Amino acid sequence: MKPKKSLTKTSEEKRKFLAQILKNTGTKIYDELDNGQFPKFSVPSRSVSNIVYDKKLRQYILGTNVSVRSSRNMSQLRSFTQLMWLAFFANRLVNEKKSSTLRDIYYSSQAFEVDFEDQPESDNIIVDLEAVLTRPREDLHIFPEERSSVFGDLTIEYTVPGYEGRRSNLSDHPDGYLIGPSLSSAELVDTSAELVIAVEKGGLFTRFVEEKVHKKFKAIIVDTAGQAPRSTRFLLKRLHDELGLPVVILTDGDVYGEHIAMVIKSGSANAAHLRELTVPDALWLGVWATDIEKYKLPTIPMTETDIKRISDLQKDPRYQEGNWKKQLEVFKKIKRKAELEAFSKYGLTNITDKYLPEKLELAKSL
Amino acid sequence: MSSSTETFDQISPSEFFYRNRDLAGFSNPTRSLYTAVREFIENSLDACDQKGILPDVHLSIKAVDPEKPDPKPYILTVKDNGPGIESKHVALAFGTVLYGSKFGLKQARGMFGLGATMAILYGQITTNKPVVVKSSTDGQIQDEYELLLDIQKNKPITLKHETKEVSKTGLSISIRLEGDYSKAGSKIRDYVYQTSLITPYATITFDDPKGEKFRYTKIVRTMPPPPTIIRPHPYGIDVETIKRMTVDSKFQIPTVDNKMIDKVRSELGLRKKDLNYKGILERAKKRWSSLSRQVRVVIALMSFLKMDFDKLNKIRIDDIDVSNQKLTYWDFGESQSISVDMDPESDYYKQLTNTVQGETLTSFLTKRFQRVGRTTAEKFANFANFKPEKRIGTMTNQELVKLSDSLQKFTAFLSPDPRCLAALGELPLEKGMRNFFNPDFLAVVQRGASAYSGFPFIIEMGIAYGGQIPAGGPKTFRFANRIPLLYDEGSDVVLKVVNETDWGRYKVKNDPPLVIVSHICSTRIPYKTVGKENVADRPEIERELRLALQFLSRKLSSYMSKKGQAEMQKKRANLYSKYIPLVARFSTELAGKKKEPNYQKMLKEISVIEAEEIIN
Ligand SMILES: Nc1ncnc2c1ncn2[C@@H]1O[C@H](COP(=O)(O)OP(=O)(O)OP(=O)(O)O)[C@@H](O)[C@H]1O
Ligand SMILES: [Mg+2]
Repeated sequence: MKPKKSLTKTSEEKRKFLAQILKNTGTKIYDELDNGQFPKFSVPSRSVSNIVYDKKLRQYILGTNVSVRSSRNMSQLRSFTQLMWLAFFANRLVNEKKSSTLRDIYYSSQAFEVDFEDQPESDNIIVDLEAVLTRPREDLHIFPEERSSVFGDLTIEYTVPGYEGRRSNLSDHPDGYLIGPSLSSAELVDTSAELVIAVEKGGLFTRFVEEKVHKKFKAIIVDTAGQAPRSTRFLLKRLHDELGLPVVILTDGDVYGEHIAMVIKSGSANAAHLRELTVPDALWLGVWATDIEKYKLPTIPMTETDIKRISDLQKDPRYQEGNWKKQLEVFKKIKRKAELEAFSKYGLTNITDKYLPEKLELAKSL
Repeated sequence: MSSSTETFDQISPSEFFYRNRDLAGFSNPTRSLYTAVREFIENSLDACDQKGILPDVHLSIKAVDPEKPDPKPYILTVKDNGPGIESKHVALAFGTVLYGSKFGLKQARGMFGLGATMAILYGQITTNKPVVVKSSTDGQIQDEYELLLDIQKNKPITLKHETKEVSKTGLSISIRLEGDYSKAGSKIRDYVYQTSLITPYATITFDDPKGEKFRYTKIVRTMPPPPTIIRPHPYGIDVETIKRMTVDSKFQIPTVDNKMIDKVRSELGLRKKDLNYKGILERAKKRWSSLSRQVRVVIALMSFLKMDFDKLNKIRIDDIDVSNQKLTYWDFGESQSISVDMDPESDYYKQLTNTVQGETLTSFLTKRFQRVGRTTAEKFANFANFKPEKRIGTMTNQELVKLSDSLQKFTAFLSPDPRCLAALGELPLEKGMRNFFNPDFLAVVQRGASAYSGFPFIIEMGIAYGGQIPAGGPKTFRFANRIPLLYDEGSDVVLKVVNETDWGRYKVKNDPPLVIVSHICSTRIPYKTVGKENVADRPEIERELRLALQFLSRKLSSYMSKKGQAEMQKKRANLYSKYIPLVARFSTELAGKKKEPNYQKMLKEISVIEAEEIIN
């Protein structure tokens, strides 16, 4: 399947677009300084009271509250400078087509004396800049350390310096491909897949590769390695939006698994300032609470924290209806959970031979 | 057996104190060495204070055998430039307990008249060596004594007495004693250091056993005026004291013997001359004001007996019955007892009644106490339900108790006279503290005189912050009558007041570089023990301490906020001149420009922002 280019920008377009935003920002501040005015940024407020659930977008978004960060205010001067530095540094990354990790950013800052006290402080400024520019940090070539993987018949073309124009097929390597900066910025060229299966666990990902799930189900397999990192969610979105592939999700049969699926589908409150990380059409295939009984899976009792987590999620607007609501209720009732590996009780291939096909069949009617 | 029947009456005061040496601070070699140092230095400073001499005091401690491990014998010498002690008093002052010159009501470091003697006693007990005292009162002749104390008899034994020519007055005292300098050293050094802090007009030096020399030279050359001795205040008196006072208010009827008659003759200027009795009385009347009390009594007796000296020589006075106005005597010549009437209207009768029955209540109160006038005395008599002319000498035990109780309860007495106090003064305290601590901020205060249970007291306090003071405070230096108090810190009223202060309220952060110097001056410091180490809670003292500390803390607080503002201003200026150029640099590159924006004028605006923020 050929990607639908019109939906999202190519990396190059994106890069240029970003460079322009950054330049505009810099010019505005330059002019203010030159006119003897103290420059300021408007930063959308990320306080809990300003995070609202948008039913139409089916994700959390920031409300209209904006806080002004002014270089005139002594208590904001330092963080203003840090924000400014980050924009300056990101601009270099974007122009030089280099990538950086959150940790790199923290250490890079030390050459400029902008006085981050610790990495959490610099991480926080990165989120501020995302909110100011309304672009995810990945666009600024800043990536977290966590990596997840992808495997399947998908041809990509790199745009990172030194690899420009080079192509790879993501089924060339049986361990899969790391979803890192180069993959994130690569063009999605071609695929024969018709489906994306995101699994929560590396172990299962490997099993799926061994069992040739990608062939049997014409699927691209993505390992989210627990709660999916933003780069992974971003890739899932691209696979869905650019290549038009449906996305399904397999997680452990517990409240955390359910929420992993939910975050892929509709984002997290942490990233309420960004709108390019959700796959609203993604489907959670299981393991559902109701599957536990249906498939007679071996279970583990829930802990206090597990149960408390259920109660917390029950207050989230996204869990107020349908299957999401129902599964939470059942989990709460049975107070037991089951891992994906539990299917091994009925043979190592039971999950791919029996459970997955049944679930995919069911998904068509969801 | 014998021990159970023993009572304290049977032992001498020295032995009593020997048995109770713990109380006086001589419990072990460490404490004893420290206490001995204190007693001698305090005596020297007291002596200089009393005579208005700027003190130079030299302390030296040497080990008899430096190789031996502690505890071991040391030679302790304290030498001063004070008035010295008259030759004939040396042995008594240092060889007996409870012999002192400071019992009167005035402020001095010494109080009990036993400090030096206890130290000497301790030295003698532990090393069996005499004390050596060298004293010169005239700056020409020095008496040198070697004394041992007879503990059983509370009497000194003079082993040696020599004289020598010298050129300065002063006293030096040297004892051998068992001590532990390795343990006592830091306390002794603290003591010397703190003593010189509160005595900035003194030079104090210390040569320690390890060969270290400590020198604290005088910082000021003015001394507080020597305090005057004053009469007691009614509030400061108990039944026992009243009894003692009435006893000496009621003179013994003098025995009229040859010696007495000689005295009368000499006071009347009749050594060589005989007069008849009329002539004697006339002469006495003329000289009345210069006559001693005893002589007046004899004259009064003569007036009733109508006798001259010759006749007087041959009788013995047996009874003076004031109430029945009868005087009874034994006539040796006639070998019989004779009574004569006394005229109650005569002045001589009044003289006699005064002597026998003591003064009237009003005159007792006005003459023997401070700040009691006639009217107050009469009001008091009315309050206590006594006749104002009631004779003290006729009071029963019960009446004396009633008198003493009423004295405490009567509220109209003026507060005690603080002239007997010698506070250090704000200026010397300030100079001393500045010199010692080199602080950024310093404030001192001397509160007005106040009193607790009839004893006047004055609080002086200083507070110092920053500069060379190390963090970790507040550190409190406590003084009472210019004595540093180093032991038993926990239970002291000054520390209580300091610890209860909420320093945050005064903008002082935790572990501040803060020093507090507190000085209590009083004729009677309410020490908790004889060891003079901590001051007991007295609501009046606590209140004064609190007020002093609050006053100083408020000054500190306004210094802190000024300092805070100055620091803020500096920090602000630093912040802007650090960050704005960075912002300029980043924006230049972001905007793709070559030349940096002109932000210099903004940096000048910082003071404007400052003003705005203070208004908000
Ligand atoms: N260095 C000295 N110079 C002159 N007189 C001294 C000196 N040392 C002691 N005296 C005299 O000897 C007396 C006895 O001293 P001692 O230390 O025994 O008692 P104190 O100082 O009166 O009271 P305390 O027991 O409280 O120390 C003192 O009152 C003082 O008159
Ligand atoms: Mg003394």
